[in-house]
Amino acid sequence: MKGRHHAPFRGPYPVNRPVLRALGRDPLQLLRLGAWSVAETAPALVVGLAVARAIDEGFAAGRPATGFAWLAVLGGAWLVAAVGARQVVLAVASIVEPFREDLLHHVVEGTLRRSASAGRGPGTAAVARSNLQVELARDALASVITVVRSFVFTAVSVVLGLATLIPQVLVLVLPPFAAGLGLFLLSLPALVRRQRDFIVADERTAESFAAMAGGLRDIAACRAGGRVAASVGHRVVEQAGAARALARVTALRTVSLTVGGRLPALLILVGTPWLLRQGAGAGVILGALVYVTQSLAPALGNLVQGLGMSGVRLRVALERILRSSGPPRPVAGLRSPSGAGVELDGVTFAYGPHAEPVISGLDLYVPDGDHIAVVGPSGIGKSTLAALVTGVLPPDAGRVLVGGVPAGLVVPAGRVLIPQESYILRGSLLENLTYLAPAPRRAVDDAVAAVGLTALVARLGGYSAEIHAGLLSPAERQLVALARAYLSPARLMILDEATCHLDPVAEARAEEAFTRRGGTLVVVAHRLTSALRARRILVMDGTSVRLGGHEELLASCPLYADLAGHWNPSDAQELVP
Amino acid sequence: MRTADRLVTQTVRNGGPWLYVLALTSFTGAFTELTIPFLLGRTVDGLAAADPAGGTWLGACAAAVTLTAVCDVLGVQAAGGSGAQATQWLRLRVLRHVLGVGPAMTRRFAEGDLVTRMGVNAEEVGHAPESIVTGAALIVPTVGGVVALTLIDPWLTLTLLAGLVLIALVLRAFLHTTTSIAGDYQKAQGDIAARLVDALAGARTIAAAGTEDRERDRVLTALPLLRLHAMDMWRANALAGVRAGAVVPLLEVAVLSVGGLQLASGDLTVGELYAAARYVALGAGMGAALGYVNRLARARAAAGRVTELVAERPVPYGGHPLPPGPGTLELRGVTSDGLGEIDLVVPGGCSVAVVGRSGSGKSLFAALAGRLVDPDRGEVVLDGVPLRELSAEALGAAVGYAFERPVLVGDTVADAIGLGLADPDPGTVRTAAHAACADAFVRRLPRGYGTPLDDAPMSGGERQRLGLARAFAHGERLLVLDDATSSLDTVTERQVGRALSGELRHRTRLIVAHRAATAAAADRVVWLDGGRVRAYDRHLTLWRNPDYRAVFQAVPPPRGSSPQPEVP
Repeated sequence: MKGRHHAPFRGPYPVNRPVLRALGRDPLQLLRLGAWSVAETAPALVVGLAVARAIDEGFAAGRPATGFAWLAVLGGAWLVAAVGARQVVLAVASIVEPFREDLLHHVVEGTLRRSASAGRGPGTAAVARSNLQVELARDALASVITVVRSFVFTAVSVVLGLATLIPQVLVLVLPPFAAGLGLFLLSLPALVRRQRDFIVADERTAESFAAMAGGLRDIAACRAGGRVAASVGHRVVEQAGAARALARVTALRTVSLTVGGRLPALLILVGTPWLLRQGAGAGVILGALVYVTQSLAPALGNLVQGLGMSGVRLRVALERILRSSGPPRPVAGLRSPSGAGVELDGVTFAYGPHAEPVISGLDLYVPDGDHIAVVGPSGIGKSTLAALVTGVLPPDAGRVLVGGVPAGLVVPAGRVLIPQESYILRGSLLENLTYLAPAPRRAVDDAVAAVGLTALVARLGGYSAEIHAGLLSPAERQLVALARAYLSPARLMILDEATCHLDPVAEARAEEAFTRRGGTLVVVAHRLTSALRARRILVMDGTSVRLGGHEELLASCPLYADLAGHWNPSDAQELVP
Repeated sequence: MRTADRLVTQTVRNGGPWLYVLALTSFTGAFTELTIPFLLGRTVDGLAAADPAGGTWLGACAAAVTLTAVCDVLGVQAAGGSGAQATQWLRLRVLRHVLGVGPAMTRRFAEGDLVTRMGVNAEEVGHAPESIVTGAALIVPTVGGVVALTLIDPWLTLTLLAGLVLIALVLRAFLHTTTSIAGDYQKAQGDIAARLVDALAGARTIAAAGTEDRERDRVLTALPLLRLHAMDMWRANALAGVRAGAVVPLLEVAVLSVGGLQLASGDLTVGELYAAARYVALGAGMGAALGYVNRLARARAAAGRVTELVAERPVPYGGHPLPPGPGTLELRGVTSDGLGEIDLVVPGGCSVAVVGRSGSGKSLFAALAGRLVDPDRGEVVLDGVPLRELSAEALGAAVGYAFERPVLVGDTVADAIGLGLADPDPGTVRTAAHAACADAFVRRLPRGYGTPLDDAPMSGGERQRLGLARAFAHGERLLVLDDATSSLDTVTERQVGRALSGELRHRTRLIVAHRAATAAAADRVVWLDGGRVRAYDRHLTLWRNPDYRAVFQAVPPPRGSSPQPEVP
């Protein structure tokens, strides 16, 4: 079955929402983060003051003991900061880990829903990619929280420290600092754009390399080397262009660092005579310089670097993750069908608004208890029909009723679809068998005996054996899926080539078990024998359908005669090799 | 490693003028940076003493700060510019080379490896010049800081060095602990991914059973474990970061104490004390400089890996066009890895089945016939012209290949069919798709022929049909079908067969086949056995030979072996 194309949702994604949710989830953690941040930035508060007092009142005043005492205060502040830094990391971790779990929930649920509606999952590579995005988002959020928080606390501490030391100096420090910060914030949108373009260009280049490496044989066979070199080369040049553009705005960003980080120190020197007249000692000047060069400038530098990189990475990763959301949950109001008859009334279905319909104006009535087989060449829409009857795909026009209820509203217990690829979950055999409905031991035994699974149960050593898909052969997997369906209370069974990996004898046994079980049976047939067991046969040939018995169709339907007459010589009964 | 170094040198040369700007600004900036603490200290001393020289020192300070800032700005731009330029040059070169070598490349390097070498490794080499310059420039403040500190007081230097050793030890201990925690962490992550992949394989079962929520919880079973290991990693991270982070400030405090004593005794001025504290910070930057040495080592290793790609020989093409002709194919004494001394002529417009047990060399035969590989000895000739002498364009137009598992290259379905065609007009593409029985299903895709390949998940049989269409769009003279219909259902296969014997009957057709029916439908059969042509005759004639009949019986039905049988 082809994937139904969902128009990707473009436009602004609510990327802030998961971040806000992560921050707001546990106010206590925020409090803890704030408290330890104060400890972590203790040196930013005392460093200048300690140096100034150590010199002016200690070493320069001939009282080394006082000097040492002030330096001990500074050393102590650093030790407190060390403890604080550790706790800060842990507090940040306890904010971003739930954030990651949120995102993982989203990714897993979205992927499951999307592939459930498309009938086909993305590959292992896509799963790995989305896991990587989640990891990136977590690390980026951690880094953004760390950097922004550290900047705010450091800036406040420095201002407090300077005010304690000599408030006049703030006049010299704050204006250039604010100007630098403002410049950075002004350049941020451009930086974000460039950084984002770069990340996207980088990924596109890697993707085109991968596509090219995978297709080297085919490219050579078409002698398309020159053209592919040109198109992949175009990506390479684009990426280099994005890198250069990023370098340009990054360079401009450096200007704001100079203004905000280095200019205050120069201004302090310019203002030194004035500060000395205000009663400051040489130590005070030194202390102010230390505040600016050791605390303020590095904090601004970290903010500029951190927000520029991690902030953008966070945004891009979140956009990727949130875009992968699946279709909305099914509507409420599921109902139990009355009976297991199936009715299709003028049903039309296409995989996109610009696609030709796969099924067009199909009318079909399958009374409760009937057994029909669906045959036709591959790709003709047999699985699409199965999906429509199951209610997984909604028809574009017409209606599909199961026991009088629209197929999309039938409770899961109302019908069972057994697809060609069987789902084996990691767990015990019993969990696998009772996946659709709980069942008493006796019923499980009966189902196992009916579909012919006894040998496997014996081989595995009982129902409690832990299994996964890799442990079973394709035929064994199909038998497990069949027994599982057999155990469900549903009276409508849709077998979509569900026995294709079984040998003809095993297939006959399984299908006969379902016939004995009662209810309606819709079988997308894989072999001629499977069609022959049905009461009626539906032949699909793309534009029209024919319904009838075997002999009747053989005589009147050339396609059916074709299907029935030309089988694979290696397996005399296969309709589809 | 010498060739790798040569590659780095070439890359340096192709980094453009920005590299020289980078070198200039890095070193100027580094030296100026080194003078700033000294100048600041002097300025403070001069101003505090109301010495008129204070103003001069202040001017020098302002000049130094401005110069550093200019160097910073230019340096950042130069680093990015030269890295981008060099990476682009190297990547384009490797790209053309890899495409020139063709599939032989993937025989030597795994696909993922190839992508890494062209992507990440080429970038590492591209940034090597930048690493060399920046790393070298970083030595200036580091060494200069230590020297300056020594000039102020040698004891301070000893204190600094002891601290650096301490940091190195801490970092080593950190690396040791993280690797074991990271293993558990990755295992929990792997569990989640494995369960998700399992569940995705059962997507239709889950959709029909309406169990998405249950499955989500099942996939995320390992989440608490993941959190546990993640927190362990955060803890280890925090501890190491704190240890390393506390060392430098404590060193500064120690230096301030020693310096303070000397200040008290008049051996040191306030400004010198400040300068000493700053030089400690600069000297402790040794770690960053060492990091650049590490980056350079990585770039050299990367250059080695990229060089290995460039060492492969590209396929040379001749300059000849193909003269008009019916598509007569001749193999003259062709010998290649396991296939020996093949001499045969396929008359133009003839269809020839290639049969044989698995391992008899069918695919190699097919690859030789259209020059996907060159023979070790002998010559393959099409309409009188050796294939080696044909231009790439002439070969592309004359020969079409279809494979068992075609890889579709291009943005859309139409691109994939018309891959490499000089003028892939919609008519050609559609006619080819029609002959391959692909037209009907392509038109049912969300956007028909314009559907992006990413949005068109296809079964093995559908992909084979597009592969056939691509071959039909290309091979005007010769079609080579290497097991290209194995995933088609019988009806579709017969329709394709009808196209081959109908509208495509004027082309020479070489069909690697497993089924007797395919061989029976061909004009002649090449029967390969143990790397030699056992017979070249009509199917009915050969059928009398029990060994020939055994070829078809021994071959298992392709169903089980084909990776993705066609599912509607």
